[in-house]
Amino acid sequence: MGLVKAVRIDSSGERPVQPSEPLDLSMRLAALDSPDAAERRRAVRDLAAEPDAVPALCARLIEERNLSVRTALFTTLIRLRSPAVVAGLLPLLRLDDANLRNEAIDALQDMPEEVGPFVETLLGDHDSDVRILAIQLLSTLAHPDAPRWLVGVVDTDSHVNVCAAATDCLAEVGGPEAIGPLRRLARRFAEERFVAFAVDMAIRRIEGR
Amino acid sequence: MTSASARSPEEIDSISPEEFAKLCEFFYRRTGIVFSEKKRYFVVRRVQERIATTRSSSFRDYFGLLRFQASGEEFQQLVNLLTVNETYFFREDYQFEALTRGMLPELASARKPGDRLKIWSLPCSTGEEPYSIAMQVLENWPQCDQYEIQIFASDIDSRVLGDAVRGVYGERSLQRVGPALRAKYFEKIKADEYRLRDEIRESVDFSTVNVIDRVQMAAFRGFDVIFCRNLLIYFDDLGRRETVETLFECLAPGGFICLGHSENMSRMSSLFRPRKFADTIVHQKPTDAE
Repeated sequence: MGLVKAVRIDSSGERPVQPSEPLDLSMRLAALDSPDAAERRRAVRDLAAEPDAVPALCARLIEERNLSVRTALFTTLIRLRSPAVVAGLLPLLRLDDANLRNEAIDALQDMPEEVGPFVETLLGDHDSDVRILAIQLLSTLAHPDAPRWLVGVVDTDSHVNVCAAATDCLAEVGGPEAIGPLRRLARRFAEERFVAFAVDMAIRRIEGR
Repeated sequence: MTSASARSPEEIDSISPEEFAKLCEFFYRRTGIVFSEKKRYFVVRRVQERIATTRSSSFRDYFGLLRFQASGEEFQQLVNLLTVNETYFFREDYQFEALTRGMLPELASARKPGDRLKIWSLPCSTGEEPYSIAMQVLENWPQCDQYEIQIFASDIDSRVLGDAVRGVYGERSLQRVGPALRAKYFEKIKADEYRLRDEIRESVDFSTVNVIDRVQMAAFRGFDVIFCRNLLIYFDDLGRRETVETLFECLAPGGFICLGHSENMSRMSSLFRPRKFADTIVHQKPTDAE
């Protein structure tokens, strides 16, 4: 024994193992419910060019407990990036599962153009936790309007924690145009000492001090 | 349409920004490899070479050949020109130490004598990596004779695979191979040419593989260790993520993947468990993964 000549793997013609043969969409969607995780993972990856599968893939995310299948679901949805994908991922921000929320944010950050039209609605959500997650999303979203949206938050949002999150974020991505709104924010929440501290720090960072 | 007259690459019209973007998009979709603007000169120069060699009348003509040629031969030629194959024996050898001091002993502890252990080098370029693995196992893993060890090696570039099978190397490739190993495993055939002995050469199976082709990759399953070093750096974030998930499928439960020193698994995927062996971190597919 020791080193033995490996048996040639034929990846070009007839093969013993292949991904699923082309099936119609309904059959591939049915495979998402297979009891076998490897089968579900394969089904998810087979749907990476099927925009019509987006609602089913998003629905599956909420039920899926296997990490590798869940990872494949997010990867496929990033590949399919579209307004429908964003619309399907945003409800995940309301779930209790912190991992799922964070994975949804990571995926949304990979589709800035598609996320853009949803941002103002998200920042106007009645739930302050959702607004804070929206700010987390904006912190690394490669979208030219991100600083403007954050300035809008510090100028208008009524919740101090939401404004503090936006302030921290502006320290990273804000420009001089954020300084006036940040000073107004400090006055608006004058009784909250941590806001004054965060604003001061953000302005220092923006001014490069 | 191809023209009858041969032209040198210098005589070929320059490629417009739109044509460059179109070519890059096509190459990305077929291989996962991303070319930034910084690589423009490198890419354009080689495409002009191929336009000249194939006697295509224009970029448009050549692009048609690339896309629609039934055999895919011209696409493979371009892949061969645009992929980088710089390597040498025992490159980043701390991972080979980790293989024989950590990964193989651990894998073997769950197997019976006589069982098979499968190792895959991907991309293998001109063969230095899989042959280094073979020598490392023979020299540094005392249990080697108790198991059936199979080494597979693959690359997207069919030209380098030809060189790998031939097993002839220059001094530059052997810079980290000491006199004892040279004497044992190589035969000097010219001043700067060494031929690997058949014992090692014939222990590795070479094949052409495109990692983003899921149909091809589906044939590669059940690996215990995959060396996939300095490949993912050529992909964009999504390509890296998809490729790592494909490699996850190729590994047996409990199998290991070794990446290049500048590749960070935690930024690509949380599917693997980081493991420290010798002086390096490798990534393990959970033993209970399906």
